[in-house]
Amino acid sequence: MKLPITINEHSGEPLYLQIESQLRTLILSGVILSGTMLPSIRELASQMKCSVITIKRVYSDLEAEGIIRTKQGTGTYVLELQEGSFVKQKEEALREAIDQFLTTAKQLNADKATLKKLFEEAIDSLN
Amino acid sequence: MDNAIELKDVTIERGLFKMGPINLNIPKGYITAIVGPNGSGKTSIFRSILKQTNITSGEINVLNERIDDAENKEISQRIGYLMENQSFFDDGLVAHEKADFHRRWYNNWNEHIYKNCLHKFGISDNIRFKNMSKGMRRKYDFTVALSHEPELLILDEPSSGLDPIAWRSMIEVLNAYMDQGERTILMATHIIDEVKRLADFIVFMVDGKLLGMYEKDELLQNWATYYVEVNPHTQAVIATLPGLLSQKNIGSDRIEFTTSEAVNADALLKDSNITILNRQVLELDEILLYHMNKTTNKIFG
Repeated sequence: MKLPITINEHSGEPLYLQIESQLRTLILSGVILSGTMLPSIRELASQMKCSVITIKRVYSDLEAEGIIRTKQGTGTYVLELQEGSFVKQKEEALREAIDQFLTTAKQLNADKATLKKLFEEAIDSLN
Repeated sequence: MDNAIELKDVTIERGLFKMGPINLNIPKGYITAIVGPNGSGKTSIFRSILKQTNITSGEINVLNERIDDAENKEISQRIGYLMENQSFFDDGLVAHEKADFHRRWYNNWNEHIYKNCLHKFGISDNIRFKNMSKGMRRKYDFTVALSHEPELLILDEPSSGLDPIAWRSMIEVLNAYMDQGERTILMATHIIDEVKRLADFIVFMVDGKLLGMYEKDELLQNWATYYVEVNPHTQAVIATLPGLLSQKNIGSDRIEFTTSEAVNADALLKDSNITILNRQVLELDEILLYHMNKTTNKIFG
């Protein structure tokens, strides 16, 4: 199984955080369904071109959050998520996306009024 | 961390070739890649671990056994080795005759793994070695090296002669190998992408000397070139940066610099309100080159 995770090695954001936040979003958004078996630590490390040390950290963090579980000898699975749970994690994922938006805004010297206008337009177009 | 291999003050001297003293621990359960130019002593290290070469001084422990003058058949059962160059004595053999020998020699020979690996590479063992292409021969030797389920696999330039499709199969086979319990790979390679796909730890070796061992992600994240805006105190801040390797002015309002401690540099730049215009991590070969230049500078003053 190949996970749709993209790494930006030049960004300066630690690798484990990049992989962790994208994998969390994939699971919480339902792109990866509960019960799915994730790649082994070694396999994912090879896909992401990182060391197993990084992936071990990602899996153990997500396991601590109650999103995935590793069963000895069988592999790592996505857990069943209750409706309305993980509000905090979902907010966290959104906040990360907003941070990225703000970084670009800062680089382009965009003013607050423009940002607000663009943001509201984007939200209105949601439905 | 448990070590699969320990080298303590190991030196090898043979005529003009001098290596060491080498102090190196290869952690159990991980893949370690030794990276360095030709002739830096990678193969000599492998041969000394396998007792195919005598060391001049020092001590080597492999899988918790001391490697010394006494013949130790036990330990060779637990190691798989893929040489850089294939031997020529078995040119006249049909491939499965070599497998017959290994099947008899290794107590843990696993026919299932052998057959699976041949199938994965799409090769037959009914061919004489002298009639095999270089790539086919490589795939076969690779298969034989891991069919006795060794705890430790030593690979010397494993992908030399492999086409991109076979290379992918090799990566898959090695990942599957590592997933079977606590196993260790020590490999030498020139291929950057191979290091990225496989290694957990990287060892730089140049001219018979070790120049450092690093966890891969830490290493690749910490070597970076920055372009920053000049403000009144930029110069002063850059001068204090840890791991600063080089710097130059680009026009009047920008500075480019390279550091081996990018994570610390990021924090310092942020605290000093210096805007980073661009940030590029270095490739492994560029990092190796920096290590090499550092040693030549030492030699030539």
